[in-house]
Amino acid sequence: MSSDSEKIVIFKIQRFDPEKDARPHFQEFRVPVKRGTTVLEGLLYIKENLDSSLAFRTSCRMGVCGSCGMLVNYSPHLACHTQVEEFHAKKLLIKPLPNFGIIKDLVPALEPLFEKHKSIKPFIMRQDEAEMETPTAEFIQGIEDLDRYLQFSYCIKCGLCLAACPTSASDKSFLGPQALGQAYRYCADSRDGGQQQRLDIVEREHGVWHCHFAAACSEACPKGVDPAFAIQLLRQRVAARALGAGKPHNPAPLAATPLQVKPRVAVPEFTVKKP
Amino acid sequence: MKNTYLQLAQMVSGALVAVLLGIHIAVQQSSVILGFFGVRVADPLAFSSMIERARQGTWVGIYISLLSLGLFHGLNGLRNILLELNFSAATMRVLTALIIVFGIIFLALGTYAPLVLLGR
Repeated sequence: MSSDSEKIVIFKIQRFDPEKDARPHFQEFRVPVKRGTTVLEGLLYIKENLDSSLAFRTSCRMGVCGSCGMLVNYSPHLACHTQVEEFHAKKLLIKPLPNFGIIKDLVPALEPLFEKHKSIKPFIMRQDEAEMETPTAEFIQGIEDLDRYLQFSYCIKCGLCLAACPTSASDKSFLGPQALGQAYRYCADSRDGGQQQRLDIVEREHGVWHCHFAAACSEACPKGVDPAFAIQLLRQRVAARALGAGKPHNPAPLAATPLQVKPRVAVPEFTVKKP
Repeated sequence: MKNTYLQLAQMVSGALVAVLLGIHIAVQQSSVILGFFGVRVADPLAFSSMIERARQGTWVGIYISLLSLGLFHGLNGLRNILLELNFSAATMRVLTALIIVFGIIFLALGTYAPLVLLGR
């Protein structure tokens, strides 16, 4: 397709208004698409020109907020991050993310995602509570320490991994790749001292051992987090603890207060003379 | 920690079943394999061959180990799948008990004959 040519792609969208509809149904829209048009731009075209009642989430439109997750041609995508041309198809089937309830049309009810995320304590935990309440200094963390968890910190909580996970489809109580991936992210963070508490949470029923390693989560993740890998690394930590083989973890220390502060470079004189 | 120990046992039993099953299949097919190289041996599937193996402690140990590990691996795997169906805690306790009873019965049935034959 040349940059100027435009063609029509059919967007077949699942519609459902719980106040009016007994069950979901499909509606087709003819959307003009040119090179570079994203699925989100197509949906915005529909909302602005064809049917303003179409409901979907959108915010940043640049793949960082995680709002616009939806099922496009049977695989989860961020609508803003996905070009129509990628599918090489005259028709796109667009449905809300599976494994979640539907609020309306393409808007999933993401509460289970957030509840599971909250349950694994996704924050730095340390024994020195006074320092956590009133920070006085930074924690020392080198490049090697950062590398151990940086990839997993890119999670934007979009829910695509949970939507793709076949275990989450059958077991609604399964913690899921997002929560388990983030549990590893915090356990691997050298500043954190809460590994024991998190491992107690993830090794319960419907926890880390219920992953079947389909790796659909890693395939769906738009940020390269690789939650399937994180889950296997988390399993290593759980197993090491059970066998008494894990290394003791001392959280990163506080940076020492500098004894001497280097003077700032002198601010240059104004070059413009005052009147 | 119970879940972790069960999962570790599942992994170890799976690996051991693979080894013991490999031995079992190799023995069962030994006449065919060796026959390919022109070596003739007694048919391992014949009743007399089976009885001869059943009178050797090593083989009885291998078969009882294969049975126990296979039963544990299969039944624990079944329990893991049932857990994913989100039954109530009470229902899962009943199912777990039934699985354990089933395993014990079939372990007893499977070990009775070789132990009796070993004694003769």
